[in-house]
Amino acid sequence: MRDALRYAFAAGIMATAVGSMSSCSSVPDSGRYTVVLQPDFNVYKTNVDNYLRRRCGTLDCHGQPGRALRLYGREGFRLYNEDAGLISGFQPTTPEETLANFQAIVTLEPEEMSRLMATQGDDPNILLFLRKPLKLERHKGGPAMALDDPGYRCVVAWLRVPVIRFVPNPDNPDEKVPEPIPPKDRVGLTLRQAQDCAEAEQFP
Amino acid sequence: MRLFSRLFVAASVLAVAGIGSSCNFNPVHRAGVNNLGPERDDLYPVESEFHRPGEPCALCHSKDGPADSEFVLAGTIFWWDDPGDQQNRSYNDRVDQAYVRVLDANKTKKCFVTNCNGNFFVRPEQFPRITFPLLISVERTKAPGKDDVNQVAYRRMTGHIGREPSCAICHIQGIRDFGSPDQIRLFDTEAAFKAANIKTAECPPPPDFIPETQCPEDK
Repeated sequence: MRDALRYAFAAGIMATAVGSMSSCSSVPDSGRYTVVLQPDFNVYKTNVDNYLRRRCGTLDCHGQPGRALRLYGREGFRLYNEDAGLISGFQPTTPEETLANFQAIVTLEPEEMSRLMATQGDDPNILLFLRKPLKLERHKGGPAMALDDPGYRCVVAWLRVPVIRFVPNPDNPDEKVPEPIPPKDRVGLTLRQAQDCAEAEQFP
Repeated sequence: MRLFSRLFVAASVLAVAGIGSSCNFNPVHRAGVNNLGPERDDLYPVESEFHRPGEPCALCHSKDGPADSEFVLAGTIFWWDDPGDQQNRSYNDRVDQAYVRVLDANKTKKCFVTNCNGNFFVRPEQFPRITFPLLISVERTKAPGKDDVNQVAYRRMTGHIGREPSCAICHIQGIRDFGSPDQIRLFDTEAAFKAANIKTAECPPPPDFIPETQCPEDK
């Protein structure tokens, strides 16, 4: 009799636990998404992509389908397009390839990228994208950047292009809230920074 | 009895260590090597410096083996694009005595010469402290060693080599598409090669033939 009571009690606890678990889980909301704060695409396209493709995008490095940071372009792997007939080393890099490279960089660590953009690129070395080439973490391709090389300065300058600004909260004027800066209102690279990028593009 | 059990334990340890040293436990490397398939004794002298043209040399010639020697850079130079499969390859489309010039990240320049089957290979002692990335160019003169002024063909890589010691990992034979610029070749088509009227080499070379083994700048 005592054992039967114990079993019944345990079963009751289990049923309660299962019931509370199922009632706590919400129905997935297909309309809900998290915004990833992205660095500026126009600056990337104009100043950074040429360097990264040449430095990192060869077929034996990041120009490979198996890489999370996968870079497409003339110097290496081509974005598959049956109609375009792209061949590695031949036709110029396409806008689609540049966009794919940008997306690869942003989505490598979207949360870290958002944090970095929210702090206006305060500490860019939190990104794996920079930690690896600087050899702060293991990188199979060895050191590919250095703190004093123009390529690194170019990438950091791009990551520090402000993409958000702080505006007064309409409900509480004492408080400031972040607001994305429209691409047309963003300030691009300085002449010196653009020169760094141009120098880095000459690699190797 | 105690001695016997100790000997048994020692023998077991040695047996396990022996298996460990003789087997390649890296499945990726092992699969890569197995995918190369068997040697073709009807096309080249097997396990010689002429073997497996166009295949990724440093896959086997690496620390992981199974080849005994290690290469830090190796590849094959072809005269023209050879889309032939494994069954339809000829000896005559590989470039003999081509000068393969390498510039590494330390700005060290070295030059190597291909053998009659188009193969060139660099052992670690031939290029100490080789540092990637590398820039590569290939040149073939009219009569290597005799007429190095008249150039027959010259090719330079548009990009660099990031870290891969085998040319054929990226320059895949017979594949010219979004992931490979095709094998390394001095002419784009067979017609262009034929028009240049170049005498191809016999391979293996006849006993009285002395091939060029040094670049002009190394003499």
